[in-house]
Amino acid sequence: MTCSEFQRELPEFMEEGGNAASQAHLKDCLNCSGLVSSLEAIVREAKELQASEEPSPRVWNSIEIILRQEKLIRDPLPSERRSILPSLRQRWGVLAWLVPTAAALLVGAGILVYQQRSGNAGQVATRMPAAATANVAIGDISDEQLLQEVSARAPMMRAAYESNLRDVNNYIRDAQDSVNADPNDEQAQQALMDAYGQKSMIYEMALDRSLP
Amino acid sequence: MQRSQSVIELCTIVVVSLATISAAQTKKEYRFEVGPRSKVSIVNHYGSVSVKPSTGNSVIVNATTYSDKVEVDQSQSGNRVDVQSHMLPGANAENSRIDYEVLVPGDASVSLESATGPLHVERLGGDVEAEGSNAAVDVNDMSGSHVHVKTMAGPITLTNIHNGHVEIDSVSGNVMLNSVTGPLVRVSSTSGRIQYDGDFGSAGEYRFNSHSGNIEATIPEDASVDVKAQSVRGSVQNDVPLQPKVHTSFLVKEGSSFAGTINKAASSVWLRTFSGKIHLKKR
Repeated sequence: MTCSEFQRELPEFMEEGGNAASQAHLKDCLNCSGLVSSLEAIVREAKELQASEEPSPRVWNSIEIILRQEKLIRDPLPSERRSILPSLRQRWGVLAWLVPTAAALLVGAGILVYQQRSGNAGQVATRMPAAATANVAIGDISDEQLLQEVSARAPMMRAAYESNLRDVNNYIRDAQDSVNADPNDEQAQQALMDAYGQKSMIYEMALDRSLP
Repeated sequence: MQRSQSVIELCTIVVVSLATISAAQTKKEYRFEVGPRSKVSIVNHYGSVSVKPSTGNSVIVNATTYSDKVEVDQSQSGNRVDVQSHMLPGANAENSRIDYEVLVPGDASVSLESATGPLHVERLGGDVEAEGSNAAVDVNDMSGSHVHVKTMAGPITLTNIHNGHVEIDSVSGNVMLNSVTGPLVRVSSTSGRIQYDGDFGSAGEYRFNSHSGNIEATIPEDASVDVKAQSVRGSVQNDVPLQPKVHTSFLVKEGSSFAGTINKAASSVWLRTFSGKIHLKKR
């Protein structure tokens, strides 16, 4: 199995454990095993945060509304309707993971912010570095993959995407530092959400919008 | 003799060039009959899109292509019109440009996408969504409409927009708002500059956030605002006399934040940047 084939099967692998070929590839391939480890770290951290105090359904609804407004999730099209644009997975293959990954980063930031607002600052502060590290790790891999795809499809735009990703990553880092310094600072929390929102917008533009 | 020969050669070159350009250009018009509050969507990878109001119930799309490497896909489903530039094999950024000039009924809502733009919308009554990584976006003279603009690096200019929700997201594009008021005006930027020139209307909520971009607001003497400004690592400058507030949600530190009211404090204004500079100016 090649890396492309493994990454096409990645959603099923994460949900159901994958078949023998996927397992064998994972043992031999450092890149794919690193990707799986990072995704598992995010899922693990999110579950731990969720277990301590389940956000109210209103919080999940609010996050869903934001993701729908950002068009990161959509209702599935009826089979009789043909979409003008090909499906994200068919068109982008492995990179179809980048949009939900960016959404996962945004949701993860939302969960962290909610926990801090609930006053569990002490508990959350100890968990935050691990979650932030997992977010950074998956972000670095995703950013590089995004830039490679931009280079392949619209090479003259790579420099602009690279520069803007750098700016946004600095924004995320500074906002995260502010939240770490004072987990009860609501403005810092909002800035962190804004920063992840800006990054999500870059991914969305590159993967689903402006680039042909 | 030599000079007249040079003139003749130059004229020949000009004529041949113009002929070549006009031969390569192809203009096509597409017409769609729609009902009230139609929705028009234009997805154009490379090239401009300009939308203006028409009289009557027709959507008229004039598309100018410059090569045979790109074509226009268009469809209508009831009150919804979709137009998309379709790149053919061999297409690239240079030869796949299409320029659209679109006329829509005054109450239509439009959704525009282009990587390079520019995108221009004026004098519509419906909602506007405009998006493009490097596209310059220019929206003006709208009332009662929701305006949503997203760019990565493209500059954004809104002029004379009133009574609707305005939401702008740009990573590094500069944002200029001239006479923009409404119940909600939100601008988020990472490194782009945010400039506002207006009175902030009445009973509106204005939130301008940036990471490192400067924020500058110029207001008249009769503006009625409750203003808060904070720069975490940058600086703030206020040229407008403010009535101090008794309580604020953050600690006011001279040089990095200020808060206060002007006149009846009808609108709420929140200016926040991490490392940029905030400047509140008097017109």
